[in-house]
Amino acid sequence: MPNMSTNKQLYNGETVSGKTLSDADFMRYSRQVLLPEVGEAGQLQLADACVAIIGLGGLGQLAAQYLACAGVGNLILIDMDKVEVSNLPRQLLFNDGDIGLNKARVAKRKLNNLAPHCTVTAHETAFNAETHADQLADVLLAKQQGKRVLVLDCTDNFATRQSINRCCIEAALPLVSASIAAFSGQLFAVDQMQLPSGGCYQCIFPAQTRVSQSCGTQGVLGSSVGVMASMQSLVAMQLLLSMDSDCDKAQNSLLGHFWRFDAKSLVWTSAALTRDPHCNVCGSKELHPSFNMHSKLHSMEI
Amino acid sequence: MILIHINNIPQSLTEPTSLAAVILGQNIALDSVAIVLNAEVVPRNRWQSILCQHEDKLELFSAVAGG
Repeated sequence: MPNMSTNKQLYNGETVSGKTLSDADFMRYSRQVLLPEVGEAGQLQLADACVAIIGLGGLGQLAAQYLACAGVGNLILIDMDKVEVSNLPRQLLFNDGDIGLNKARVAKRKLNNLAPHCTVTAHETAFNAETHADQLADVLLAKQQGKRVLVLDCTDNFATRQSINRCCIEAALPLVSASIAAFSGQLFAVDQMQLPSGGCYQCIFPAQTRVSQSCGTQGVLGSSVGVMASMQSLVAMQLLLSMDSDCDKAQNSLLGHFWRFDAKSLVWTSAALTRDPHCNVCGSKELHPSFNMHSKLHSMEI
Repeated sequence: MILIHINNIPQSLTEPTSLAAVILGQNIALDSVAIVLNAEVVPRNRWQSILCQHEDKLELFSAVAGG
């Protein structure tokens, strides 16, 4: 039913009355729009959403494709690494001709072809204390505008994962984190605004935790990475779509859980996350809604 | 006798034992794992103060950071 208007109420109290999907978008996204959990309103919400994907390796390159092609309107891609030949068996967005080029830049170019309506911004820099304010400025701005936002941790090392977690807590951004090495995958979603009792990554693995598992040292099968990236994308899609009152139950069942995947037995195990009251990231201090976006965001506010 | 399960392997304790002591008894460094106790992640700060109960199910696992 093309150009059917809707008055479905959004999570922030506004409606999308008057906004409609174009005929072309109805055709493109018809299999999603058919789902009652999506519908035209959900598809329009996706078009407004802004998602930061940190790390464009095995996880990030696939999550980026799923989200862009599903109609997420704005993607922020962050990775300083270059495509290497050893990436190609599992990072299917890249090919031999991309070797030596920055992953975020290549991903942006390819996503522009796959999903021309998605606005992709590439940051060819590492994620750290010096860079994250600039990298996440667009996400923070979208959040201030009442749009749906999300951060996906698709990185390959523990220190950066700690840094992303801290940043998301301080900026009150929802985080969906996936990881994989050898045959072990881990996945969780936390949102300090929606479910503070779920705690954060630091509550599970404090910063001084000894970590030995990485793809570079232990190896991994591309299909195992794909499973984790698909699940991460699925959680992301549901969080982006389910913040209205109709879907609270579904959303709450995804936040505050820690899933582990055994890629040998194909068994998933779920556990509830609990906040550590003494956590030095999320436990002892108030949220910082005025997260110091000193560069881009402040200039836009002026 | 307190019977617990660690990663699906039964283990008996002769006296009330903390989560931290159980892990050390497995020759596992406290800073190398996370614990799920009866399907709930237990923050590391509480491992000394929680005593294992009969039929507790513990899952120990390390952080996976690859991607």
